[in-house]
Amino acid sequence: MASANMKDIKRRIKSVESTMQITKAMGLVASSKLRRAKEKSEKSESYFEALYDTMREITSENRIFESIFNKKSDNVLIIVIAGDRGLAGGYNSNVLKLAHNRYNELSSSKNVIILPIGKKAVEYFEKRDFKIMAKYSYIAESLDIYDSSSISDKIAEAFIAGKIDRIEMAYTNYVSSLVQQEKCISILPIEDEKMERVNNLTTYEPSTEEVFNMLIPQYISGILYSAIIDSFTAELAARRIAMDNASENALEMINDLSLIYNRARQNTITQEITEIVGGASAQF
Amino acid sequence: MALFNLKVVTPERVFFDGETEQIILSTVCGEIGILARHESYVSILPPGPLRIKIGNKFKVAAISQGVVKVSKDKTTIIATSIEWHDEIDVERAKEAERKARQTLSHKLSDLEFKQAEFKLKRALNRISVSSKYNS
Repeated sequence: MASANMKDIKRRIKSVESTMQITKAMGLVASSKLRRAKEKSEKSESYFEALYDTMREITSENRIFESIFNKKSDNVLIIVIAGDRGLAGGYNSNVLKLAHNRYNELSSSKNVIILPIGKKAVEYFEKRDFKIMAKYSYIAESLDIYDSSSISDKIAEAFIAGKIDRIEMAYTNYVSSLVQQEKCISILPIEDEKMERVNNLTTYEPSTEEVFNMLIPQYISGILYSAIIDSFTAELAARRIAMDNASENALEMINDLSLIYNRARQNTITQEITEIVGGASAQF
Repeated sequence: MALFNLKVVTPERVFFDGETEQIILSTVCGEIGILARHESYVSILPPGPLRIKIGNKFKVAAISQGVVKVSKDKTTIIATSIEWHDEIDVERAKEAERKARQTLSHKLSDLEFKQAEFKLKRALNRISVSSKYNS
């Protein structure tokens, strides 16, 4: 009996050990990728800031301000950025839940379309039969600006043609290696507390409207680029934490199981000795 | 002559950050030159060359697409990608040109046509900048 039990425990220890090897390896891979992703995201910062400032200035320009903010927004696009893979703690479910809530909020009065990026987001919204504009998987890891341009061209076309009047985006912001915050922001129109209506003296060539329209695809592409990289960085950080926790739990389990195993082993030895002693004393 | 502050940024790097006397670039409305104390100005850049005066010489780079923004204290060029003339990979640009021409020979939607045409312009700009200034 006891030895059969011991065999089981031994088998379980082995299986937990091999799981721990996998989680450890995944944690290491995530942390080395995280470093690269962080560098990429830092490099794109000043590009994005410059683009955002220009866009904000031109939006605050009188006429554009009028045309954008007085427009009714019946057709809303929500861009949802999640991961391609699981095993990253609450990373995917948090951002998808946020996007779903936002959808519920808007869909009572408006027509909402989704643009999922990342396999998990695509699966989530397809399974629930949402209206999907376009979908993209496996682009985050080797993303370059032309990938995000080809997505943004489609969105900008629909926006300028008036098929969409409002664009929002749900993504995850990498705050630190321990904190990742899911967010839902409005891309167009820009909503910024600092924004006010002004009549500045900047010359826009050929014209304010044309510059604005030509800026839209570049602006969306820039914002997508940095949001996808930001989310990917957050995903890796979340995965690293999840894998570290899993490894820790596995180690704890191995310790517990080893304790049980040793106790069982001692029991069998004690029992054998008692049997031998009992047998020997019976002979005399 | 007076100098002004110029910053050229792309998603991958800060391409240029420093003082210059003059830059010449092509916008959607044609070629313009910018000197110090230029009025506030914003325009869109199609694929084209960017000349930056460094010392007494102009150094040339190929911009693939972007925005130029001149404000009182500095000029910013936001480019999708940009390379100095001696950084351009001509073979790659020629390959891109060939591919774009091939795509354009098929029947395309408006958006696909615009994207392919843009790729062709980008490739041609790289080839022309590289062949003109690399000698």
